[in-house]
Amino acid sequence: MTDSEERGGAGSAETWKRHIVRQLQNRDRNQHTKFQDLIRFYTQLLEKTSLAKGILSCSTRHTPSDNGSSISALLHQNNQLRKTTGELAYKVVEMQQQIKIKESFLDEQHARLLEEECRLAVALHAHQELQERVDRVKVENRALKLEYDTLLEQQRQEERRLREENDRGVHLVEDMIHLKQQAAVRMNSRNERRSRARAMNLTTARSKVAIDSSSSAPTSRSTSPKSEDQDDCSDRRHTRLFRSASVTSPRFLSSIKQLFDRKRRGRSVCSLEEDLMCPVGVCVSARVPARALQVLEAHEQGINAVKFSTSSDLLATGGTDRVIKLWEVRAGSLTHKGTLDGSTEGITCIEFDPTGLRVLAASYDKSALLWRRDDPIPKLTLTGHSRKVTAARFSGSLHQVVTGSADRTIRLWDLHRAACVQLLRVTSYCSDLVCSENCIVSGHYDCKIRVWDARAASCVQELPAQGKVTSLDISADHRQLLSCCRDDCLQLVDLRRWSNDRMCFRADGFKCGSDSTKAVISPDGCFLAAGSADGAVYIWNVSTGNLESHLPDKHSSSISAVSWSLSGEYVVSVDKSKWAVLWSDI
Amino acid sequence: MADDKDVLRDVWFGRIPTCFTLNQDETTEREAEPYYLLLPRVSYLTLVTDKVKKHFLKVMKPEDVGEMWFEYEGTPLKWHYPIGVLFDLHASNTVLPWTITVHFKNFPDRDLLHCPSNSVIEAHFMSSIKEADALKHKSQVINDMQKKDHKQLWMGLQNDKFDQFWAMNRKLMEYSTEDGGFRYIPFRIYQTMSDRPFIQKLFRPVSPEGNAHTLSDLLKEMYPAAIPNEGEQKRYQVVIHGIEPLLETPLQWLSEHLSHPDNFLHICIIPTPSD
Repeated sequence: MTDSEERGGAGSAETWKRHIVRQLQNRDRNQHTKFQDLIRFYTQLLEKTSLAKGILSCSTRHTPSDNGSSISALLHQNNQLRKTTGELAYKVVEMQQQIKIKESFLDEQHARLLEEECRLAVALHAHQELQERVDRVKVENRALKLEYDTLLEQQRQEERRLREENDRGVHLVEDMIHLKQQAAVRMNSRNERRSRARAMNLTTARSKVAIDSSSSAPTSRSTSPKSEDQDDCSDRRHTRLFRSASVTSPRFLSSIKQLFDRKRRGRSVCSLEEDLMCPVGVCVSARVPARALQVLEAHEQGINAVKFSTSSDLLATGGTDRVIKLWEVRAGSLTHKGTLDGSTEGITCIEFDPTGLRVLAASYDKSALLWRRDDPIPKLTLTGHSRKVTAARFSGSLHQVVTGSADRTIRLWDLHRAACVQLLRVTSYCSDLVCSENCIVSGHYDCKIRVWDARAASCVQELPAQGKVTSLDISADHRQLLSCCRDDCLQLVDLRRWSNDRMCFRADGFKCGSDSTKAVISPDGCFLAAGSADGAVYIWNVSTGNLESHLPDKHSSSISAVSWSLSGEYVVSVDKSKWAVLWSDI
Repeated sequence: MADDKDVLRDVWFGRIPTCFTLNQDETTEREAEPYYLLLPRVSYLTLVTDKVKKHFLKVMKPEDVGEMWFEYEGTPLKWHYPIGVLFDLHASNTVLPWTITVHFKNFPDRDLLHCPSNSVIEAHFMSSIKEADALKHKSQVINDMQKKDHKQLWMGLQNDKFDQFWAMNRKLMEYSTEDGGFRYIPFRIYQTMSDRPFIQKLFRPVSPEGNAHTLSDLLKEMYPAAIPNEGEQKRYQVVIHGIEPLLETPLQWLSEHLSHPDNFLHICIIPTPSD
């Protein structure tokens, strides 16, 4: 077969095949087609004749050979034929009847056929309609399919993007974990270093003490701090007399410092004895700062709080970068001395305890933390507030702390038990508070300053303010209360009289930069200091009510807080862009 | 291909108009009418003449009826040759229809085989097919077939069912392309004037040089006289299925398409009519 196909491909080779086909056709025409009908007709004819012959032979069989009785036989035959004719006629009638029946049946069939045709037409019409609908639906389906495909494509793309984002997220988390681990390692090594240094200090101190005790009899008191306490107290009382005389001699101050230093060796952070020894503050005449001694980038992020210790040689700053930094103030410059960490969010407020050994801070992480000055790990964490803590202050006694929070509560804490002992509910966000002997004064966003009785836990007075209160400060003698409000005005109220007469301090250009801008009273109560949104420090004279000084140009952003050293020598201002400036009059 | 299929159909449905007349010597009750029939070329006489027998028996006494046999112009017709071969060999250039005389007595035992029933024809037909396949495929194809396949071939012929027959016969016509054809071509060459019934020898469809053999090649070897010399009058006609294929026709193709159902290529060589 394949061979023939191949051969068939060539035109000449086809000749023999065409020849065969043509010949076969010729043959069939001559031998088959010509005779086909002829033979068929012949066969039919043959059959018919044989049939006729059969009948003929039948009838001839009856023909008698005998001629004599031929007539009677013919008659008989005639009769028979008549009879058969009759029968046939009857049959014809019967047949006709049958035909009629069949015809009526046929008519019926026709009628039914017509009916069916009608129904068929209707059905066809319906079918056509349905077909059209099918087409329409198909078109719609195609459109939907197209849409679906595009959506699917989109989804695939989105999924891919999501996967990429997830990958990136995982990478970021890994990076972060890595950084955290590094930070932890750094922290551990730092802690270790510190504890080693402390141990070293301790041993050198001990040896020194040992030498002291062995060499000189008068200093033997230092070896037994308990017995020394009585003397200390007497000394303290003695110094107080001098203090009221407003002595500014540096020698005298240093003698006091020495006392403090010695006391620090005692290492009892919170004891009854300490309460007794609590310094109320050194009232010296404050000096109005005139120029910046040092401008430094103190933190990695914005600074929210700044505070001098009671001994004026230590400064604490705290900011959004979650750490508190301690700075030594010496010879008109700030030296970094240590870092207190442990807060998981930014610091809002810092306070030294009256002894200067402990640092209390309020944090965005809904807690207040207490450190020992020389230990970077918090000693206590006071948790319980449900929103950020805006202020934390030591109350009259050293083992009590008051905190104010954005959750509209003020809490009193017992440091011995490290527990909340009292809860004061306010109707408004508490932005700052200060403590006097037996009362707590809190400032709120509802333009009210509330005075609370710490023992009865009740609000004894409400003082109106002109705007949201951003900060409060109380003078060293607990007689004057300073409040800073968002209406860019500082108010000074005399707490003794509880009267409505108050002094307002304003200045051109002074603008309260935020809801937590801190203003302070100078330690001698003669001046007020506040930082403005324009980066300038403003100082007012309390007695005249006028602006005393205006120190611009050192800060580039809004000042968040200022602090005046208890010695009256220095003012430090901090701003929202991590800079701190040390001011003095020299 | 369409042509090839048409050729197969034309071969299968070839008919010869025949007139059967009863031998004058037969004793009859009355005069017998002649019987006309279109005989299939590829079938066998005794397979298709039941009607003829019935027709003539009507006019004969049962006691006078022996085995039926056929004769044309004095030559007894061998039922075991295909009808087409008989016609081409003995009567190709006569006036149609082909007039065959029917005998019911004096069976020529020397010339003809007895054919008591169709099973004899079947046996003969099947043995031809097997012989042809032995030549073509060393009997591999026919031996691979089942009994029912053999039956299908026979029933196809018996009932004149072209499709039924060729559905099976197709397998017998297959060959691998690398061989280029059958092993040997099953053919038989018949002549009118010869003592030998036919010529049958081994002949390959492809020459040792790889050229396809043609009808001319076959004749040169088997019957050189059939090929006219140059400038000479054609003395013989080479007839297959009532036609004269061109001598350059490939033998393999002829075997595939112009073979009879028994798978043999029956070639008749007859003298060219003188007129």
